[in-house]
Amino acid sequence: MLSWWLPENVATYGQDIDWLFHLIYWITGGVFVLVIVTFLTFLVLYRDRPGRRARYTHGSTPLEIAWTVVPTLILVVLTFLSVPAWSRIKMQMPPSDLDVVVTAKQFNWQVAYPGPDGRFGTADDKTMLDEMHVPVGKVIHVRLRSQDVIHSFFVPQFRIKQDAVPGREIVAWFEAVKPGKYEWPCAELCGFGHSGMRGWVYVHTAEDYAKWAAENATGAQETPKR
Amino acid sequence: MSAVSAAYVDTEHAEHHELGFLRTYVFSTDHKMIARQFLFLGLFMMILGGLLALVIRWQLAWPETAVPGLGWILTETEGILEPSTYNMAFTMHATIMIFFVVMPILAGAFGNFLIPLMIGARDMAFPFLNMLSFWVAALAGVLMLAGFFVPGGHAAAGWTSYAPLSSVTEYTGVNWGQNLWCISLFVLGISSMMGAINYITTVVNMRAPGMTLFRMPLVVWSLFITAILLLLALPVLTSGVAMLLFDRMLGTSWFRPSGGGEPLLWQHLFWYFGHPEVYILILPAMGIGSEILPVFARKPIFGYHAMAFSMIAIAFLSWIVYGHHMFVSGMNPTLGLSFMITTMIIAVPSAIKTFNWLGTLWGGRIRFTVPMLNALAFVSMFVIGGLSGIFMASTPVDIFIQDTYFIVAHIHYVVFGGSIFGAFAAIYYWFPKMFGRMTNPALGHLHFWPTFVFFNMTFFPMHILGVGGHMRRIYNPTQYEMLQPLQWWNVLITIGAIGLGLAQIPFVINFFWSLFAGRKAPVNPWNATTLEWSAPSPPPHLNWGPRLPTVHRGPYEYSVPGSSEDFLPQWEPSSAVPAGARRH
Amino acid sequence: MVSAFSVVDAPARGPARRTTGGDLPPRLPPPGGDGDGPDREPDPRRPILDNARLATLFLIVAEVMLFAGLVSGFFVLRLGAPVWPPPLEPRLPVAATAVNTLVLLASSVAMLAARRALAERDLAALARRVGVTAALGALFLTVQGFEWVRLVRFGLTVSSGAYGSTFYTLIGAHALHVLVALLWVLLTLQLIVRGRFSPDRPGMMRACAMYWHFVVLLWPVLYVTVYLL
Ligand code: HEA
Ligand code: HEA
Ligand code: CUA
Ligand SMILES: [Cu+2]
Repeated sequence: MLSWWLPENVATYGQDIDWLFHLIYWITGGVFVLVIVTFLTFLVLYRDRPGRRARYTHGSTPLEIAWTVVPTLILVVLTFLSVPAWSRIKMQMPPSDLDVVVTAKQFNWQVAYPGPDGRFGTADDKTMLDEMHVPVGKVIHVRLRSQDVIHSFFVPQFRIKQDAVPGREIVAWFEAVKPGKYEWPCAELCGFGHSGMRGWVYVHTAEDYAKWAAENATGAQETPKR
Repeated sequence: MSAVSAAYVDTEHAEHHELGFLRTYVFSTDHKMIARQFLFLGLFMMILGGLLALVIRWQLAWPETAVPGLGWILTETEGILEPSTYNMAFTMHATIMIFFVVMPILAGAFGNFLIPLMIGARDMAFPFLNMLSFWVAALAGVLMLAGFFVPGGHAAAGWTSYAPLSSVTEYTGVNWGQNLWCISLFVLGISSMMGAINYITTVVNMRAPGMTLFRMPLVVWSLFITAILLLLALPVLTSGVAMLLFDRMLGTSWFRPSGGGEPLLWQHLFWYFGHPEVYILILPAMGIGSEILPVFARKPIFGYHAMAFSMIAIAFLSWIVYGHHMFVSGMNPTLGLSFMITTMIIAVPSAIKTFNWLGTLWGGRIRFTVPMLNALAFVSMFVIGGLSGIFMASTPVDIFIQDTYFIVAHIHYVVFGGSIFGAFAAIYYWFPKMFGRMTNPALGHLHFWPTFVFFNMTFFPMHILGVGGHMRRIYNPTQYEMLQPLQWWNVLITIGAIGLGLAQIPFVINFFWSLFAGRKAPVNPWNATTLEWSAPSPPPHLNWGPRLPTVHRGPYEYSVPGSSEDFLPQWEPSSAVPAGARRH
Repeated sequence: MVSAFSVVDAPARGPARRTTGGDLPPRLPPPGGDGDGPDREPDPRRPILDNARLATLFLIVAEVMLFAGLVSGFFVLRLGAPVWPPPLEPRLPVAATAVNTLVLLASSVAMLAARRALAERDLAALARRVGVTAALGALFLTVQGFEWVRLVRFGLTVSSGAYGSTFYTLIGAHALHVLVALLWVLLTLQLIVRGRFSPDRPGMMRACAMYWHFVVLLWPVLYVTVYLL
């Protein structure tokens, strides 16, 4: 249902987000129908006609209490339902199977693998532009940096978005469940090249990934040493 | 109507009418003239901001083709937008619409016009300061427009101007454009501070006899609260743009990481201002809705006190929700959780208001005049905009929809569907009082219906685009494979936007035609109860004759049982009160 | 001066706030009149604060928000810095500024004394004390100016990183406010000296005093934040 609306989800926590999205969709949709139907009914029923006199009332305390309390309850429940997904995505990251350092700059994504020594920041680091290769079913930690302005790491099909802020490193994570090639735009205005600052994330099967990693000497087959 | 307006004699104050042209129309200290000046400023800027929107829309529907008519201005590219020009276009579209259209019209024009007239004062507390506040705002407008003519073009870092994109010239290539953006908003901050001080002082100190706080019309409440928010929020923006300007011009390091600065500081300061700001944009419209609905439903407002208190609650809460703009900015995720809770809670006062508006309609005798239609559009469209806010308030969902067209849809449902429909309603409703002439209802309908239809055709599909992953602020969506199948929506939206633009033409015609040739307005054309309708149309300098109206009751006494008329003005003496009326 | 700003600023006369006609039993209309009672003008309400002081109060509230923005910016940068003050930057003149702080506080005391003179309707003393206030304020600004010159010579400039940025922005913003307040005080002083001031209409004078106390009391906060913490 409604799946034509959202792009196909191919990451683990994407379902949590989609589930909440649909939940809110039904709640707000219900509220909307309720409000608009009442609204239109009143407009038709109580339109001005000769001889009609409006009801003289300044309000109704029970009603007003009801429509304060009910929305409050709905919203509070919604808040609590949102907490688990948020903490899963942002607060309790699973341990990493593979680290990549992504450095954003006007107007490219620089993707760095640690190289054969398994460490970042050494001479044998392997960097590539606008493409990221990851194995399927593994937790990937994306260590986001920026060289100049704020950019935003956005892969719609993973339901992930995280700004890259100059002067700090921010870690985002995902675990893809389906091999493929996924579009990877920049989602924060970063200058005249913002539109078109775009990379691709390649999700490989385990074998394909091992092959790719060996060919490119990325040294990123195993869990990185920190 | 009442003795007050009928017995209008202007003897004592006659000399005030002999002010020269300059003192009457240009450097006037009369709150009503200043209101008209703000209104013209806002309407003029609206054409500009709207045309910029159409330029944006053209580029999005038919990327990199020449925009009709733009060849005159962009001679080098023969009317084809470049990416940097596109960024400039939406930056200035939003800046102009928010700071120079909605704020001048709602807070500036209607704040000035309505506060003294509705509380029964002769003018603002400080008429001279009031005049100054308009001219300083006009100066800010000139500075903002000047940015279009400097080399390097105007500011192009979004209306939010996130540092360091905005704080370092090399990142955008914009030099004086961004500087002028900062200076203009700094100057505008001073203007709105003067205005806010004036409004607050006037409401606190200058109410007519009998006008207790809880007899004030809700629109005065809303403007009063708006003024408090302006007073508290704008200085924070002022401090932020000062830092930004210093970073750009003096080489300070407020937002420069290499010098020990912090880019996110800008976002905190901006949104600490920015969120109260969006309520500054909507609160007056809420007040206007609460004013017009009772008049044309011929019913007292439902839950007056709840209406006033919910606006106060919104004002309080608006200070502690600003972090919902920064869920994915790298801010501490625990903070994100607390901002989610407060953001959800701030929807509650809006819920109260919505249901009270419905309650006002219930059992009424509804007349579909042009102001009423616009007010009804305000209520229904604001609900859509508000409900889309709930999606974003949920932090996990916002991860996906942040910076997509879902946000753009939300923005326009609340600011156009909310504030601009509110402004239209107010203009149609108070035009007779402001200019002494009625507007033309036929042209009014010709304006309202296409606007309403094209508005939805333009902005509703943006939800769908956003959920499809369409980023905002992109120059050319067809560069993305995932967006290519969605491109036809962009075409549809643009056609809607052009329709929306054309739909404003009857409004412009109506406005100017009525200004000079409209039917002369009676004192109280809508049979309304609030004090401004006891002054002549248009009210003279100092508003009432030697005698100020005295207030005898609350503002919404419609269809009182036992009275022959279906409305009981606030200024009507108490002996006329039938037994059925509620006494406040 | 005040009257030039405000149309209805007449001192409160008549009964305190007449709340309502609606709640009272209907009164007889005045003879020959057609209204609902005696003419209620001038304003029968007795405001808690006159317009001028109320407005100044709100001006101060806005200024507090401005400085709240600046000070919280300062804290963000300061807490984000590994060491503060950063090594190799000149130290701020803590002691000299402490003395200068006392100068500024003294000016506030002079202003309080001026208020007493106002209450006693002693215009000569009022002028003298307002003059002392202005002089102390000017002294404060001068000393600040000298210190800035020295600091710049030692190499602390606006562009020396977060330290210089925050210092000059915050302290400069305050200095600017003292300057404006000083001009206001001088304007008031000039009115008093030229005999254009009447103790019956003290609104302007009191508003000016309020604003002066505000810029003075703001200073210790900034001193502690920027110099001591
Ligand atoms: C007039 C302006 C206005 C108003 C009134 C609002 C009102 C609200 N806004 Fe909006 N907002 C903007 C203008 C406004 N906003 C702008 C301009 C931006 C973008 C800035 C930028 O990035 O450029 C923005 C962005 C924005 C974001 C950030 C999105 C992002 O960038 O990721 C969020 C997130 O929470 C948000 C939430 C809300 C909420 C919850 C409300 C609530 O106040 C809405 C409350 C109203 C209702 C909910 C409807 C009526 C209620 C009922 C019918 C009752 C029942 C309802 C339920 C039980 C659900 N807004
Ligand atoms: C009050 C605020 C306001 C208003 C009224 C509008 C009105 C409109 N807005 Fe805007 N908009 C914003 C506030 C507003 N907007 C903000 C805050 C942003 C975010 C900016 C950012 O990302 O930094 C934004 C961004 C924004 C975008 C996204 C740009 C992007 O992210 O790349 C788009 C795209 O479609 C858009 C379109 C429109 C349209 C078609 C209108 C229409 O409603 C305009 C219709 C009006 C007219 C056309 C004017 C009337 C014209 C006449 C009277 C003259 C006669 C007409 C003709 C000759 C045709 N707006
Ligand atoms: Cu990088 Cu947008
Ligand atoms: Cu907000």
